[in-house]
Amino acid sequence: MTWNDVVFMLPEIILSIGASLLLIAPVIGWRLKEASAKWAILILLAITALSVVICSNVVEGLPQTVSYSAMFALDGFAIFFKLLFITAIAMIVLLSDDFLRESRYSAWEYYSLLGFALIGMMFMASGVHLASIYIGLELMSLSSYILTGFFKNEQKSTEAAMKYFVLGTVSSGILLYGISLIYGVTGSLNLLTIAKAMSTIITNDALMFGIMLLGAGLCFKIAAVPFHVWTPDVYEGAPTPIAAFLSTASKGAAVAIFARIFYVGLHDFQLDWSNILATISALSMILGNLAALTQDNVKRMLAYSSIGHAGYVLLGILSLNAMGLRGVLIYTLVYVFANLGIWATVLMLRRHEYAGERVDDFEGLHKRAPFWAFAMIIFLLSLGGIPPTAGFIGKYFLFAAAIQSGFGWLAIIAVLMSAVSMFFYFRIVVAMYLREGREAEVAITPALKLVAGVCLAVTLIFGILPAPLINQATESSSWVAARAAILTHAGR
Amino acid sequence: MNNILSWIVWLPIAAAVILAFFPRNAVTAIKSLGLGASIVTFGLSFVVVQLFQDSVATFQFVESHTWIPQWGIRYALGVDGIAIWLVMLTTLLTPVVFLSSWNAIHKHPKEYVIAFLIMEAAMIGVFMATDILVFYVFFELTLLPMYLVIGVWGGANRIYAAIKFFLFTISGSLLMLLGIIYLAFLQYHDVGRPDFSIAHLYGLSIPMHTQAILFAAFALAFAIKVPLFPLHTWLPDAHVEAPTGGSIILAGVMLKMGTYGFLRFCLPLFPDATAKYAKLMIILAVIGVIYGALVSWVQPDMKKLVAYSSVSHLGFCVLGIFALNQTAIEGSILQMVNHGLSTGALFLLVGVIYERRHTRMLADYGGLAATMPLYATFFVITVLSSVGLPGLNGFVGEFLILAGSFKTHPTATIIAAAGVVLAAIYLLWLVQRVFFGPVTKEENRSVPEIAWNEVAAMVPLVVLMVWIGVHPNTFLRKMSPSVQKLMTTVQKGGQRGQVMVAGALTRRSAAPSPRGRGIWQRGPLPSGEGGRRPGEGR
Amino acid sequence: MIPTQWFLILSAILFAIGVCGVLTRKNGITIFMAIELMVNAVNLTFLAYARQFHQLHGLIFVFFVMAIAAAEAAVGLAIFISLFHHRETIDVDEANLMRW
Repeated sequence: MTWNDVVFMLPEIILSIGASLLLIAPVIGWRLKEASAKWAILILLAITALSVVICSNVVEGLPQTVSYSAMFALDGFAIFFKLLFITAIAMIVLLSDDFLRESRYSAWEYYSLLGFALIGMMFMASGVHLASIYIGLELMSLSSYILTGFFKNEQKSTEAAMKYFVLGTVSSGILLYGISLIYGVTGSLNLLTIAKAMSTIITNDALMFGIMLLGAGLCFKIAAVPFHVWTPDVYEGAPTPIAAFLSTASKGAAVAIFARIFYVGLHDFQLDWSNILATISALSMILGNLAALTQDNVKRMLAYSSIGHAGYVLLGILSLNAMGLRGVLIYTLVYVFANLGIWATVLMLRRHEYAGERVDDFEGLHKRAPFWAFAMIIFLLSLGGIPPTAGFIGKYFLFAAAIQSGFGWLAIIAVLMSAVSMFFYFRIVVAMYLREGREAEVAITPALKLVAGVCLAVTLIFGILPAPLINQATESSSWVAARAAILTHAGR
Repeated sequence: MNNILSWIVWLPIAAAVILAFFPRNAVTAIKSLGLGASIVTFGLSFVVVQLFQDSVATFQFVESHTWIPQWGIRYALGVDGIAIWLVMLTTLLTPVVFLSSWNAIHKHPKEYVIAFLIMEAAMIGVFMATDILVFYVFFELTLLPMYLVIGVWGGANRIYAAIKFFLFTISGSLLMLLGIIYLAFLQYHDVGRPDFSIAHLYGLSIPMHTQAILFAAFALAFAIKVPLFPLHTWLPDAHVEAPTGGSIILAGVMLKMGTYGFLRFCLPLFPDATAKYAKLMIILAVIGVIYGALVSWVQPDMKKLVAYSSVSHLGFCVLGIFALNQTAIEGSILQMVNHGLSTGALFLLVGVIYERRHTRMLADYGGLAATMPLYATFFVITVLSSVGLPGLNGFVGEFLILAGSFKTHPTATIIAAAGVVLAAIYLLWLVQRVFFGPVTKEENRSVPEIAWNEVAAMVPLVVLMVWIGVHPNTFLRKMSPSVQKLMTTVQKGGQRGQVMVAGALTRRSAAPSPRGRGIWQRGPLPSGEGGRRPGEGR
Repeated sequence: MIPTQWFLILSAILFAIGVCGVLTRKNGITIFMAIELMVNAVNLTFLAYARQFHQLHGLIFVFFVMAIAAAEAAVGLAIFISLFHHRETIDVDEANLMRW
């Protein structure tokens, strides 16, 4: 292991050490207050982010972007997602602060688990080898099972953790079986080698089966129909900041590996998995958005809407062109910020552990907190893809990618479901602005203000001036896109 | 002066931003600032009209700045003879709204003013945009303020009406977005770089079957907005529940975004499809004319009556547009302005009386002419303008439409002409039942006369009604070259389109289609094709 | 030498049994055992292929999988214990506070 190898993984190494220290800090008897846990993790995240930036600059000077026996890449794609995940986790830390203070669970354990989940996500972003991807995925999943059940005195929380755990491990098993079959046919676990092997295979039942199993496992992680059943229950039962984590960062990481595996590893396989994914995408959009219509619980509504959004992201993955890949990056970023903003607003309404959850709880919010009510409208518009919010830019790319690759019918479904989604998003707007009932009780802390403010700024700025975001996404996706293109032409 | 159009768009938004920092209880200051900003905007648009060169057919006062370079989207504004009158109408009706609701809005006056200012800016943007995506952004931006205006300040059933309005419109416009994206791809394959400029898109030649699909995507969005016959159901609900100001803007300007869209996009971009489906559109328009009139006739509610009369009048506009000749289209544009003036005024007047008596039922009125003579005068003039009395504006518009469309579609024109007669019946009957006859209810003896602010709002509308009626050439002169250019685009496009369809078919079968599975499509890429894709930077 | 296919068929059968167990059983621990069966079926596949290819990759992957399965066991059992505290049962059908 040379110094260069260390540079590749330095952020993860720092974060691993830091998160471990957070975990043992109370045990080894450092006399630290619970409140300082937040600062410890935030500083740790800042250092990690800084090291990602520095290391990526160092790596740019190196001849290749892949290291550790071609298992670990630090390319634009990885850096984009790593920085996004670090930001998201930092905001989730801010969202969790009050929540933890009231609930009297150990903040140190909680934040270290978030840190471990982040390490897993960073490995997922960097993984170009099915082993490293799988290990990263498991690290993230195991941490999130525990975090879901973190409020162990709450029966709902425990129950949600159980459901998530059972279904999650089953899906990992299925994913793993898919990996083993792909390994068996191609003789490798490295995505690039797999892609080379694929280009010589015309048709193979075991491989097809393996890809389907792998796809099923990944669809579970991004909560696409028909592997979505866990989502509403887990979101509802999990502590609200953890629901925010699951619907943004965790989902984003799953999207990242989904895109990487299918764009780099499997894009050249003759089996038209695009059509299978198109069906899954259509079902996710239809079922997610229609089911969300009837939900009175905001967390369940957001869960179903996140199922719908999984369908939208799949548009970018299945269309297999540069536009689609950029769309995936942009949409994930936009979705993460809009969703975190919504969760921050939901938390503003919190009175006890599970309050602020019903749509009714939003009634009259615009009187108590006019600015945040307005911010909420912007977030909801962004999720719906209405200009001039950033969501429009994301949806534009995904729709354009789908049309470009001949999935016009899917784009039409996507558009119609966007209209449907506006209906239930606007139920919240109706409650905030149009109903004259009670006045919402709010507890707006500076941390929540900061999160919602950052999300609002990102959503609006990238909506009005999207050029930098598009440039960044183009640059970040270029490695994956180029690799996919080169392989296609070399293979033929 | 180079960017006067930007001033017109952004001035109301700037005022809205300033207003956001005003204290909530400074009601008079808030209203004054709103009114002042809208009057200044009107003044600026008046300057544009004065400086507008009559003989130029293309966009004037053009400004263009890079916005999203990767897609070739430019923040581009400009007005031609068609757009300029609709801009003028918008800037005129906004101060009218502020004046008329000076004393009527007690709930959240600050938010009310802000909503209308943002709406004004967005509507102006719709009419001024010369980049199709900028158009789309403004088109969507009008939705939210109107939704809130109906939903917050509306009547009893306002939430239902607001959601219905929102969902109808957004379904259509989202499909239009797909059409826009597809159009951008076509343009990309034609010229090799992404370009959303409307003027450049006009040069595009599109095969017939593609035209048909795109025409459907665009026409659906605009038909919902107009609203054309089977898609009109959101309109009565929205109008009845909306506050007076909302109704004025909705009927006066927002419906015109649909007819304007037909003129700006459907006709010149898809001339073949337009020629093919013109008959269908005309049938729907004529059904709308008759249906709207008949339903108006039986309405017991004044506001609903006026709302359905909008369906009828907008049917005339669509008829004029799809008659596809210069006279009819000019009449149609003029009729858009006329309808904005007269229906806006009618909603205003209905609002005035509703403020005083809190009922809109015809049966509750009678003999008001005696108690409110000035009000009655305004009402009668407006109704006569709406009916199409010679000497007032409605006559000119309807006459031009009917004269133009008679040349191409005589049967439809004759049926539509019956709509004029029906309009005369239900509107004059309305006047008769409300203003004349004996005073049946005691409350009607002591209704306060129309107030200063309402008079101030009505006067410019009435002046314009007479002006257009007496001297329509002021308006026709400026729109004529643009309409002429539109007609040549439509006709030339139609001919060229037929040639191109044949040409494109042979070309496409010879060369591998560049449109395929995307960037890494299998098989060799045509040289020079693989490097650049839509949206990829230059 | 035993052909690779035989191992693959065995592991497919084990995996199928595991899936059936997850779907049909109600007891949390039994479900968990079925999941372990699935994971170990996958391990068998990897080993079979690794033997066929004479590669180390597959063998090493199995070690990773085993470690992860152990971690899963720790987390899973902790969650079931926590559930037992609330409900005095680990029957997953009894966990019906929220709609599935």
